[in-house]
Amino acid sequence: MALKKARDIQKSKPKEERRSLKRNFQGLINQLNDPDIQIRRWAARELAGFEQAVEPLCRRLQKEQVLSVQESILNSLLTIGGEEVVKNLIPFLRSDDAGLRNKVIEVLQALPEAVAPYIEKLLRDPDSDVRIFAVDILQVLPHAQVPEWLLQVIRTDDHVNVVAAALDRLAEVGTPEMIPALLEVKQRFANEPYIAFAVDTVIERTKSEA
Amino acid sequence: MKRVLIVDDAVTVRMYHRQQVEEIGLKAEEAANGVEALEKMMRDNFDLLLVDVNMPKMDGYRFLKEVRQNPDLMSIPAIMISTEAGEQDEAQAYEAGANYYLVKPVQPEVLQSIVNILVGGTR
Repeated sequence: MALKKARDIQKSKPKEERRSLKRNFQGLINQLNDPDIQIRRWAARELAGFEQAVEPLCRRLQKEQVLSVQESILNSLLTIGGEEVVKNLIPFLRSDDAGLRNKVIEVLQALPEAVAPYIEKLLRDPDSDVRIFAVDILQVLPHAQVPEWLLQVIRTDDHVNVVAAALDRLAEVGTPEMIPALLEVKQRFANEPYIAFAVDTVIERTKSEA
Repeated sequence: MKRVLIVDDAVTVRMYHRQQVEEIGLKAEEAANGVEALEKMMRDNFDLLLVDVNMPKMDGYRFLKEVRQNPDLMSIPAIMISTEAGEQDEAQAYEAGANYYLVKPVQPEVLQSIVNILVGGTR
């Protein structure tokens, strides 16, 4: 794992080399703000080897406009992984930049164990958009609790599009035991033809899976 | 028969929009994100695009910008259909190149009427 790798490398080096690594780290952090795109991209990529780079990488991500640099930063954050990365990426779910938001969702999806402790809180966020993005994270999240979280959304959330996003995911992971909860959703949103359509689709799929 | 490309990462949304489009006599194709949609547009001709905003790999805004910059694709009308109801979201959609903006979930008759207008009739 890259996270351990960075730490191990630094511990195993002699004192002099450790100093040079530290200088190198600071140099890379400075280069993250270089006007030259290639230098920023290279620095972002190299910082994948430093777990302490999470905050500086996320600070750069806030202002970075160039897609290829954004991608390098996110790839490095994915390589570093862990809770610190998740904690620092979650605020980007409120970004106005749809492209960045979607890339952040992809990184969070790839860190299932680290993101799991944050899901329930995100699903209770006062902003319905954030709750939709939380369900989006669940779209391909390989985690055992996903069906339970989705069931909680369709039972309790009042926003039609949050429920719609959860229903879409349940089309893949729904089970016949969920049918009563699904029928309740159909009743709760009786004036929404899409919800009726999605519920029928999920029920049909769960029956055919069974 | 006129052809509509439905671009959305949600499978149930694609199925629902397909049903509305086919009910009024159009042919529907589906793509799960902007990249997949661009690939399909290189192979086939389409008369209308129904585009979601939040999708992996390439979001709806970036996809529409790419379409509007491509001389072979730029004139295809596009409806952006998003969960986001803010004025700024709508403005961003038009800026990216949308011809119409709808907020999810869309009532069938509303979608069918706008689709019909933008493809210039179903025959």
